Amino acid sequence: MPALAVVGGRLHHPPVQAVPAAGQDELLERDGELALLEEALGAVQGTGSGRVVVLGGEAGVGKTTLLRRFCEGRERVLWGSCDPLFAPQPFGAIRDVAELAGGRLGELLAADAKPHEVVAELLRQLAGGPHLLVLEDVNWADEATLDVFRLLARKIALAPVLLVATYRDDELDVRHPLRLVLGELATAPALRRIRLAPLGLGSVERLAARHGVDPDELFQRTGGNPFFVVEALAAGTDGVPGTVKDAVLARAGRLDAHAHRLLETVSLLPPEAELWLLERVAGDVLDGLEGCLASGLLAPTRNGVVFRHELARVAVEESVPPNVRLGVHERALAALAEPPGGRRELARLAHHAEAVGDEAAVVELATAAAREAAKVGAHREAAAQLARAVRFGAVRLTPSERAALLEERATECYITDQYDDGIAALEEALAHHRASADVLGEGRVLSRLAEFLWCPGRVVEADRAGWAAFALLERLPPGAELARCYAEVAFKCAGAARGDEGLELARRGVELAREHGDESLWLRCRTTLGAIERGDAGYAELARVIEDAQRRSLPDRAGAAYAMLVQRALSEGRRDLVERYLDEAFAYCSDHSLELFRLYLLSFRARFALDRCDWVAAAEAAEQVIGIERTSISPRITALVVLALVRARRGDPGAAPLLDEAWALARPTGEPGRVAPVAAARAECAWLLGDLEAVDEATAEPLEQALRLGALGNARELASRRALAGLTAGIEPDGRDARAWLDAGCDYEAALCLLDSDGEDDLREALDIFVRLDARPAAAIAARRLRLGGARGIPRGPRRVTRGNPASLTERELEVLALVAQGLRNGEIAQRLVVSRRTVDHHVSAILRKLGVRTRAQAGAEATRRGYVEAG
Amino acid sequence: MPRYLIERTFAGEVRIPDEIVDRNEDAGVTWLQSFVSDDGRTMFCVYEAPTPEAIRRAARANGLPVDRIAQVRVLDPHAYG
Repeated sequence: MPALAVVGGRLHHPPVQAVPAAGQDELLERDGELALLEEALGAVQGTGSGRVVVLGGEAGVGKTTLLRRFCEGRERVLWGSCDPLFAPQPFGAIRDVAELAGGRLGELLAADAKPHEVVAELLRQLAGGPHLLVLEDVNWADEATLDVFRLLARKIALAPVLLVATYRDDELDVRHPLRLVLGELATAPALRRIRLAPLGLGSVERLAARHGVDPDELFQRTGGNPFFVVEALAAGTDGVPGTVKDAVLARAGRLDAHAHRLLETVSLLPPEAELWLLERVAGDVLDGLEGCLASGLLAPTRNGVVFRHELARVAVEESVPPNVRLGVHERALAALAEPPGGRRELARLAHHAEAVGDEAAVVELATAAAREAAKVGAHREAAAQLARAVRFGAVRLTPSERAALLEERATECYITDQYDDGIAALEEALAHHRASADVLGEGRVLSRLAEFLWCPGRVVEADRAGWAAFALLERLPPGAELARCYAEVAFKCAGAARGDEGLELARRGVELAREHGDESLWLRCRTTLGAIERGDAGYAELARVIEDAQRRSLPDRAGAAYAMLVQRALSEGRRDLVERYLDEAFAYCSDHSLELFRLYLLSFRARFALDRCDWVAAAEAAEQVIGIERTSISPRITALVVLALVRARRGDPGAAPLLDEAWALARPTGEPGRVAPVAAARAECAWLLGDLEAVDEATAEPLEQALRLGALGNARELASRRALAGLTAGIEPDGRDARAWLDAGCDYEAALCLLDSDGEDDLREALDIFVRLDARPAAAIAARRLRLGGARGIPRGPRRVTRGNPASLTERELEVLALVAQGLRNGEIAQRLVVSRRTVDHHVSAILRKLGVRTRAQAGAEATRRGYVEAG
Repeated sequence: MPRYLIERTFAGEVRIPDEIVDRNEDAGVTWLQSFVSDDGRTMFCVYEAPTPEAIRRAARANGLPVDRIAQVRVLDPHAYG
């Protein structure tokens, strides 16, 4: 057998069965990575709590080879691979794992369980550990598998398992869903990322020497990619082949005729060619199997064979002549339609039907595959399958059948935040309804367009669609379509200073939906009502919707109501409600694969942390949202504003470009809810830089707009920023004073209020707060005002923050600590330092936290022990 | 990648942890060069980093203070010769 050496490869099953015996593989330059894996597994064994390793690298760099070596001889290894299919089978890799793990997992998957249920069972089964769980090529993971990975990684501490996920980092575009997952996991304490680099020249030289090949040429051609290197050496050609494909085909070309045909057949049957399938598709050349295995191009699995590497499969597949290809696909389609187990794999069938060009079969199979995927929460795959069904039904389906598929596709696009695609689907459906004079369908699609168009900020078009639907549907007998339409236009009224009208429409929508619609529509209309209805009544309605939706297993309705509730609570400053619901909502939407709502909630988490002056948490959540390009603009705008403000308040560079992007997204919408937060942030940044004119410029127009549209909350927000620069607004800023802000945990806002005062005590307190919050630019402004007022002892520039001391106490905190150590009470300390009692409270709690003690007495003792204060 | 100048003030002598290179790598930042004041208490560091947040993340991991971060580019005196 040729030296398989460092070849990477795809194994569908655990390494023991699928790999040549140990010792034949030579692993170069991977000692460090093996040691890291060893260390991680050791930590799992030592602590009984799990860890995650994410292993990235380009295709062919040797991720699988490394893991295969690491797994060699170990017990309790579970291994699942993701497949490079268009719209792969939901839970693809997890099905591999279930087969190996046994137990109830397989039953759950067969019963269409949701990802969070699968994870709960997986954790139960892994409890007996320690286990090693490998998920291979998660860049190809279907949405359900990706959800399992994400949830499992988050809960990894609960079971003694080392979870290793590999991915091709050269295949992640900015919109790749794996990016969001990796971003979210980036800060997890039990996670370690490893990146595999190509081989260096030295290793390539060692390999080349044995084959008498020019090492420099080999290195240059292959870039040190281990797979390419080994293929090139195994090709048996004179000189180094120019491409991976040349190398693979040269090796394949040395097989005998039967083996070669079998190899071609296997290349057309991804992800895995089962033996029963090969018998029915290529029974006449099955004797070539041995030659294929001996060549090292194929590897055995539990049920059949696979290519050792996906790169090789693609190279062979592309070389198969069209007539041969068609024959294989036809036979595969027939065979897979009647599998021995009975359960048809729809995604796989659709793949072969498409290759054969059987339009009717593609439409039927893709539609069925879509519904199967949607049932387990794999909405992304469902949307892709429906697109395929529409494409292949272009001729065969009637306009109304196509419209129905398009509307179904739009629903899946909505949940996965692919608005552009959803809008395109709806527009096409609209044309079909119009062509067949289906007014009801036209009205329904227009209502939905109103909702969809709003998300990427196409507000004018959204309004037009909403009212056009209204005009059409009001002429027809009342029904579910009109209810949906009422809910849609109710929102538009509420946003256009026509609140009472909106409320009335929302109520009518609820009534109509109760009479004519299904439960989902009824909950949807109630969500709108809850969003519009003022005061606690609205919150109570939203809370009831959440409960009802959960009871009826309508997670997308519960997610929408959660997002609405938190958004409203946040914008109305209802800290109690935000704290009560935010984490719960986020966990719920995560568990139920509601990507869009998750993104919203993540942006709310960022904003809430910013308001509470937790810069680190705010920046982290905001970065996650910004890291992924999406078509829905609201979460992005929020996140950009938050990150810009974190930077500006800490005095870090780079706020302006973020706000420019947010402004470009928000401004064309003309909506105060989107425009005002950006304008307020621009004003605040301008003020910190001392540019008072820019404060006026940033706020004047948005303020006028907010007042005109009755968005008083937004107007107050802008007024408060204008007040910083001494500008009036025609409306009072938020009525809360510094005490109220401090009570709400919004210390930065409190300090801004205190700055407005001429009193030296207030200014000193503001300065203290800014210094404590590490808000250098605002601290400098406070210090300057104090000096201008004649105050003494105000340091030039920011107070030195003595983070060099291990507990990172500020000078002010050290001062307070000294008095605490003397046994003074907070009131006395406040008098002594001429600051408010509340400021001292804050200092003391910061001190306790930083010293890691619980009582004042312990703090005093600790201060003495560390030598911060004189003993005695 | 953008380049940043970071000012750090230490209460005592400058202390750099041994694991700084690994931790910087985890945060995605690269430490290029530093200047330390005569009294050994202030340090100016030049870093390459994707964002200011990455710099702060690395600083937290390394237990290093951050007073000020400025994004900078190189001005070569030869251009004025």
